[in-house]
Amino acid sequence: MKWNRIAAVTLSAAMVVGLAACGSSGGDSGSEGGSGKIQISFLNGFTGGDGDFMKKITDGFNSSQDKYEIVESQEKDHLTQFKANGADLLIMGDTDLYTYAMDGMIQDVTDIYEKAGLSTDDFVETAMEVATVDGAVYGFPLDIHPLTMFYNKELVSDEEVPKTYEDLVNLNAKLQAQDPSLYVMTVPGSGISEQYWMALAAQYGVELEEDGYCNFAQDKLADVFMKWHDMVFVDHLSPANMGLDSEFTSFAKTADDITTQAAVSLTGVWFYSTAKEVYGDNLGIAPIPAIGDSSATYGQSHNFVISSEVTDEEKMDGIVEFLKYVYTPENLLNWADSGQTPVYKPTMDLIRENPEQYPVPAVNVDTVSDCAFSPQVYNGIAQTNYVTENIWGKVTTEENLTHEDLMGLLEQATDNAKQLAGVQ
Amino acid sequence: MKGKKRLKRLILVIAATIIAYIFLVPLLFMVFTSFKGLSESISSSELLPHVWTLENYVSILEDTTTSPIMRWLINTIIVTVTGTVLVVAVDCLAAYSLARLDLPLKGKIIIFLIWVMTIPGIVTTFPSFYLFRELKLVNSFIPLIVPYTANATGVYLIYNFLIDFPVSLEEAARIDGAGEFRIFWKIVCPCIKPVMLTLAFITFLAIYNDFLWPSLVVSRNEMKTLTTGIASLVLGANFVNPGLMMAATLIAVLPALVLFMFLNKYLVRSETNVGIK
Amino acid sequence: MKKKRKTAGVFFAPFALCFVLFWLVPFVYGCYLSVCNMSLTRGNQGFIGLGNYIQIFTAGSVYSEAFFRGLKNILIFVVTSVPLLVIIALVLALIVESLPEKVKGIYRTIYFMSYAVSVTAVSAVFLWLFNGNGGYINNVLLSAGLINEPVSWLEAQPFAWIVLVVATVWWTVGYNMMLFINALNSIDSALFEAVAVDGGGFFSRLRYIILPGIRNVMAYVILMTIIASFNMYGQATLITRGGPLNSTKSLIMEINDVIFTNNNLGEGSAMAIIMGIVVMLFAMCQNWLSKEKKEIKEVSGS
Repeated sequence: MKWNRIAAVTLSAAMVVGLAACGSSGGDSGSEGGSGKIQISFLNGFTGGDGDFMKKITDGFNSSQDKYEIVESQEKDHLTQFKANGADLLIMGDTDLYTYAMDGMIQDVTDIYEKAGLSTDDFVETAMEVATVDGAVYGFPLDIHPLTMFYNKELVSDEEVPKTYEDLVNLNAKLQAQDPSLYVMTVPGSGISEQYWMALAAQYGVELEEDGYCNFAQDKLADVFMKWHDMVFVDHLSPANMGLDSEFTSFAKTADDITTQAAVSLTGVWFYSTAKEVYGDNLGIAPIPAIGDSSATYGQSHNFVISSEVTDEEKMDGIVEFLKYVYTPENLLNWADSGQTPVYKPTMDLIRENPEQYPVPAVNVDTVSDCAFSPQVYNGIAQTNYVTENIWGKVTTEENLTHEDLMGLLEQATDNAKQLAGVQ
Repeated sequence: MKGKKRLKRLILVIAATIIAYIFLVPLLFMVFTSFKGLSESISSSELLPHVWTLENYVSILEDTTTSPIMRWLINTIIVTVTGTVLVVAVDCLAAYSLARLDLPLKGKIIIFLIWVMTIPGIVTTFPSFYLFRELKLVNSFIPLIVPYTANATGVYLIYNFLIDFPVSLEEAARIDGAGEFRIFWKIVCPCIKPVMLTLAFITFLAIYNDFLWPSLVVSRNEMKTLTTGIASLVLGANFVNPGLMMAATLIAVLPALVLFMFLNKYLVRSETNVGIK
Repeated sequence: MKKKRKTAGVFFAPFALCFVLFWLVPFVYGCYLSVCNMSLTRGNQGFIGLGNYIQIFTAGSVYSEAFFRGLKNILIFVVTSVPLLVIIALVLALIVESLPEKVKGIYRTIYFMSYAVSVTAVSAVFLWLFNGNGGYINNVLLSAGLINEPVSWLEAQPFAWIVLVVATVWWTVGYNMMLFINALNSIDSALFEAVAVDGGGFFSRLRYIILPGIRNVMAYVILMTIIASFNMYGQATLITRGGPLNSTKSLIMEINDVIFTNNNLGEGSAMAIIMGIVVMLFAMCQNWLSKEKKEIKEVSGS
């Protein structure tokens, strides 16, 4: 009897809590909060170590203001969240910007540049290009995060830091002689792999975009995949069959009989804090080596974009104020603290003055200007995903892969891309 | 003869123990990895940590933005408990109405429900998501709880139990002039308790283990349940070291594990198989 | 009498309301979506008839490729996982039932316990347990001399499937075992004694008493396991992420991708409906094979 009563009380309490929570979670979209400030919702996907640095910027803005308030939320699937619940201001990668602009989800901000006291010349050109769709600007570039090289100073001396393909081969020979479980690098089977083939495509000068879709069926692109394949199976610079995030995990591992370790990692800057925790002062940072014809690299950018639903004058003024605050050279330095490389020129100058304080941006600040980007096409992510999912895996697992095999697959990928872009 | 039987039994216990160990390995791996430091947890191929550390637990409990694990736990309790109670209540009422009361079109309704049971849930998953999205109800508890109430299987389960159950007690009460609701609450409910608990358990598990549906309707970190929360640690754009992941996982599964240890004794005696005739 | 009808209606109303709102409306709406050119971001672009369905069955279309790849993958999973999930569950149930009464509970709890671990937690554990570069399982198998060099569990086939099946068996076999234990308990013990008198061994007991005695539960378990295996999503999403080369991408993952990455809700809905029909066909075949139509007839007669 006693148990029954306890159970009944618990259950009804849970019901009440549940229903109350249902009621309260719905209505947070009002534009004026209890403080009387005009609220602007700001959505981003910075849920890793970088989130704290963006928070510093928004907190700084909020305490400098008594008219507007930025209500920031950091969510892992922030674009799904945007599709589901909307937001006034958000961060969007260049890979999504084109598609969202075409779908009319975000608005043309050309006029707002002037209001915020900015000019498109204040930003790195390449970043500006990918924020522009059909001549109209849709975003305010925040940063570019290129594929970057980390190296382990215990295994790689200052003179040995690879700059060319030759250097990688030599370094690998040295490491292999030292211990067969040591490799110069690891080519990952999945994870950041798209950046791998995109980066080498940039170094080979491959132009993917063609009439609104990605043309993958190019001999040069097949060469790119073949090159990665040969790095694994001919020159043995990396073990074969390596998996998700292995370019980083094998870098962070310690070699033993069954574990391979890589001395160098071509990876994303978001691994910086973990790498730093593992290696401390022995962590080196450099631009990726020139594997192809040039030393170009591949990167992605983050942009502030404004939802097309924002029409309210006051809200827009608030966004303008916030942008003015963000694009004050010193304020944006907070973002450089996270390891990301801002592309606002005055802030970049400050980074150049203090390279020790900003180890990763200091390396990338000069590479971002010749960074290549994903093609600006409709449904671009779906188009390139197809290649990454169906072709890249063969590069690290199939020893007998040939140029002809690749061409066949790439033709199929192009056919798919045309369908996804809606040009066929 | 007796010796042979004893030997057989010994072999059986040894086999059962080996299997039990295999079953425990993933759980042990989870526990021990959670006590490994950053580089060890990435690198180690052994079960036991060389250096024991609590750093993973400290950072998981301190970090309330990326992995608000306590919030996820509370959400999970709210969602599973409310959902289970609603489903059991709604289904019992409907089953009682079908089995005992004078509901029009009874027979047709039951055949319809059997048909519905054979239609896989995937057919309604995505349109439901779209509707909740259009109603701006995503990222709240509502879609995490209420859709489970459209549970034809539950109604059928209880209906089956009720039609095999003698009517005499209810009739007596009815003659005494008790209202239908009173009869249901005071007489029927206590009698169908075992099957109600079975339904409650099945429903609880279905809600607790569901992954696709909550990952569609909830994208905000603070609204996630344990299942989707852990998924965001595994799938997230940022690298989460295995030690931290295992610490979070362990905190997440501990309450359910304890619940199971106590419940399974009951389950064997209960009518888990009721309705499967 | 009228009053009684009203009460019946009142009792049934909550379920009817929930059912209509959360099953019937989405079901009808799903059928509607499947004949529209619809995307999450652009909304409804108009009625296109059977266009989405035609896409699925047109060779060379993106969606046809995705659907049949997903279907093939999930069929591989169903065919490999269902027998294991049923047979291992039965073996475990038989072992637990023949253990001494004192320790029965402990072993049953251990075998069942993993079901309390949610699918995402299972995945997090197996992801690192089966790490290809080093990794605990590689270490154990190497030291036991079962393999000569580390296996890339998640990057090559058939290993990726092995990991997914092992993870699924570990996770869910305990539930099936519980159902079997209950069924075994309900077999009349007098029957066992009769066979014991006849001098029958374990296998004749299994063949003549146990299997017929649990026939209906067996049919139910197989049916539920088939449906659950068709719906496999979490394990492949989190452990293998559909790889290597999309070979473990389940049908639900494909549908999910069509809706979100390819931004085509209409096509995804059509795929979901075809998938529903495939699962129903499987369920009906299984039902027909185990001749379980009796019950439905009984009900419809009443």
